[in-house]
Amino acid sequence: MAAIDLDTMLAKIKSSQWALADIDWDAPGAEEIHPDQWVKLKAFMSDLMWIEHVGARGFAAMAKKAPDDTLKEIYTYFHAEEQRHANAEMALMKRWGMLEGDELPEPNINLRLTIEWLDRYSDDMPLEVLGSVIPMLEIALDGALLKFLLDEVSDPVCHQVFEKINADEARHLGVDFHVMEMLGQGRFHQLAVKTIGTVANPKLILGVLAYAPLLNRMRDNIVAMGLKEERLYEAMNKYKRIGGRTAEGRRNPWFQIISRHGEYVVDRSHFYHKPVDALVKLSNFIPARLLGPVPTWVKELTWKPTA
Amino acid sequence: MAIAPPQDPVNATLVKKTTAAAGKNPQERTASPSPAIQESAAVIIIGAGFAGLGMAIRLKQAGIRDIIILERSDRGVGGTWRDNTYPGAACDIPSNLYSFSFAPNPNWSSSFSRSGEILDYIYHLVEKFDLGGYLRLQENVTGIAYDEAAGHWSATTDHQGEARQYQGRTVVMAQGPLSNASFPAIPGIDRFQGHKIHSANWDHDYDFTGKRVGVIGTGASGVQIIPELVKQAARVRVFQRTPGWVVPRLDFAKPDWQQTLFRKLPVSQKALRQLLYVAHESMALAVIWNSPLTRLAERLSRAHLRRQVKDRWLRRQLTPDFTIGCKRVLVSNDYYPALQQDNCKLITWPIDCISPEGIRTAEGIEHQFDCLVFATGFEVGHSGTPFPITGRQGRQLNEEWKSGASAYKSINVSGYPNLFLTFGPNSGPGHNSALVYIEAQLDYAVQGIRTILDGKLKGLDVKPRVQREHNKAMQQRLSKTNWNSGCQSWYLTEDGFNATMYPGFASQYARQMAQLDPADYQVLK
Repeated sequence: MAAIDLDTMLAKIKSSQWALADIDWDAPGAEEIHPDQWVKLKAFMSDLMWIEHVGARGFAAMAKKAPDDTLKEIYTYFHAEEQRHANAEMALMKRWGMLEGDELPEPNINLRLTIEWLDRYSDDMPLEVLGSVIPMLEIALDGALLKFLLDEVSDPVCHQVFEKINADEARHLGVDFHVMEMLGQGRFHQLAVKTIGTVANPKLILGVLAYAPLLNRMRDNIVAMGLKEERLYEAMNKYKRIGGRTAEGRRNPWFQIISRHGEYVVDRSHFYHKPVDALVKLSNFIPARLLGPVPTWVKELTWKPTA
Repeated sequence: MAIAPPQDPVNATLVKKTTAAAGKNPQERTASPSPAIQESAAVIIIGAGFAGLGMAIRLKQAGIRDIIILERSDRGVGGTWRDNTYPGAACDIPSNLYSFSFAPNPNWSSSFSRSGEILDYIYHLVEKFDLGGYLRLQENVTGIAYDEAAGHWSATTDHQGEARQYQGRTVVMAQGPLSNASFPAIPGIDRFQGHKIHSANWDHDYDFTGKRVGVIGTGASGVQIIPELVKQAARVRVFQRTPGWVVPRLDFAKPDWQQTLFRKLPVSQKALRQLLYVAHESMALAVIWNSPLTRLAERLSRAHLRRQVKDRWLRRQLTPDFTIGCKRVLVSNDYYPALQQDNCKLITWPIDCISPEGIRTAEGIEHQFDCLVFATGFEVGHSGTPFPITGRQGRQLNEEWKSGASAYKSINVSGYPNLFLTFGPNSGPGHNSALVYIEAQLDYAVQGIRTILDGKLKGLDVKPRVQREHNKAMQQRLSKTNWNSGCQSWYLTEDGFNATMYPGFASQYARQMAQLDPADYQVLK
């Protein structure tokens, strides 16, 4: 098992912190956003910052389930770092004139459902579930979305910000895959029985009903913006390759489930999309007011470097 | 509320009185032929807080009056209650129990006293038992050493920059476990350009009106300070690392009739004290050991949180993830409501560093402030000593305690004859009044000191084997307590060694301390 030393990693995380105030948000370069890309970029950045924010809440739930104090502290930092990424991405949106006043980008209905699920049930999920889903989201973020963004946008401040975000994400992925392998230890039949028990959990089923349409909607949004589907394939393959590089990793049933699911998501011709796309359409009919106000953790997002 | 002696005419008078009386001990004192030795006495007490003054009272009551009390402060007596005058400072134990049984006070104004009233009680003790003459103020002890040949201890002090020496047949360490303010080791703490205040050294001249204030620390002091700051400051941000268990405080003003009753019928106050004592003893079953009562206490605390905090996310942030009792249980009715005021916010992001303008947290935001309040408690010596302590054959106590402090019955250490510790290793209570424990220590020390003085002994030194066996049993018992259940707290060393708490009921501790058995000691003649 390609183990990493978590204590060393925690020290590295602590010594690699950065703040929005480290960046000159008024530096020249904002004008390099062309008017014809502005609308698409606004939608892309909005999806991106929400993925970061949803990931942040996932790490908060994982901190509660961490088997030791070091991993718990690492996840506490990752929770904050994903929030920092969302904040920094909002600051870029502000710089590019995409936000009015203190407003947050509007989350789509699938995001709202996912936020609601995270708020109510994520703390009850075993580490295995979020510990295998989050790496998938992060690898998609790191391997596809961010690279795409940097290809499309030449604003130097954007590059400066994503250099920092990428460095954070590299540490996140290191820990993510270490934990996935850790979760694959133990007798296979025990892992399998535990997985079956979790899959049957109604809270998880509700989570899947929120998560699957969200991924589909986001994939469609992103591809509509010009992201090549091959990028997503590459990201899924990377997840499979790294997650399955060791016997322990491959023995983790959740790795198998998530990587199979990733294949379905990027294969537009798969039957999987019929019911999930139907769910996307169905979700359009859910009135947002039915969900009530957003949880207060969402309101902690800010593009302001100082408070 | 907060009373600093210079601002209070009554207390100021007492400080002047104790300062003026210093050096005019009614007892005859032996002036040393050597100019280096300031004075000598049968008993040197280091510290003039509850433990030091209580020691002097019990010694006096036992007929031992050749006493010197060395106090490092120039602000008179009172120890932690003299230093902790921050807004909202109060005791978590009911006043009738947080006072000496041999000096009851019928006049407590409320069930849980504020620091000013407790300090007044301490001043009252000095007056009532005429202790002023024993006090030597501004004597900061820099080291003590045992002279085996002569059978006495010498204490070196720093008196306003001048080195002095005192000699005593016996020494009582009563400097207190919570006496040195502790600032957290946050990078950049010295760079902050605004005002910094520590809870144990409050700046009463600073006006919080209209200020942006950051509070670091949500322990026992933090939960008392925050509600008061929220009333004054324009904006308060509370930085929390770990939420603690908070239980409601059953606080109420004492009716006049009760004070009258206690004055006219002292037995009624004694009965109430006994009732409070038994009630607190029962809490040991919840907070010291993991039992069904522990779950009940956690449920009570969660219900308190649910009742006061409606927002799910804030409730999550404030919900502890360790067994109740593992860390100090917090007692407050107004902490949660204060956090939800419009001008207050709880911040749980990890702190990255302190910048010149404020605090940077890991979500990338710099929170800017005019003033930072550190409610970060005290340096608790688990393994060191407050100053060098040299025993027989030059042995150094801080060397011996490197891997964790240990003593016999918390009060004596083998190799350091005639030295008595108050609040020594494994004497901390988690559920009952500290003064109950102190009283047991004081009476044990009186027995020891009397044995030494009456027997004209050079030394009374606990046997190493006795101490070793005592601690082996102590650590075995501690391993089954909530304190050792996995959380990080100031009760434990970094290695998880518990040199702080006593693993049992207060009555068990009192029984342990009731009798000094000469067989446990080696007599040096």
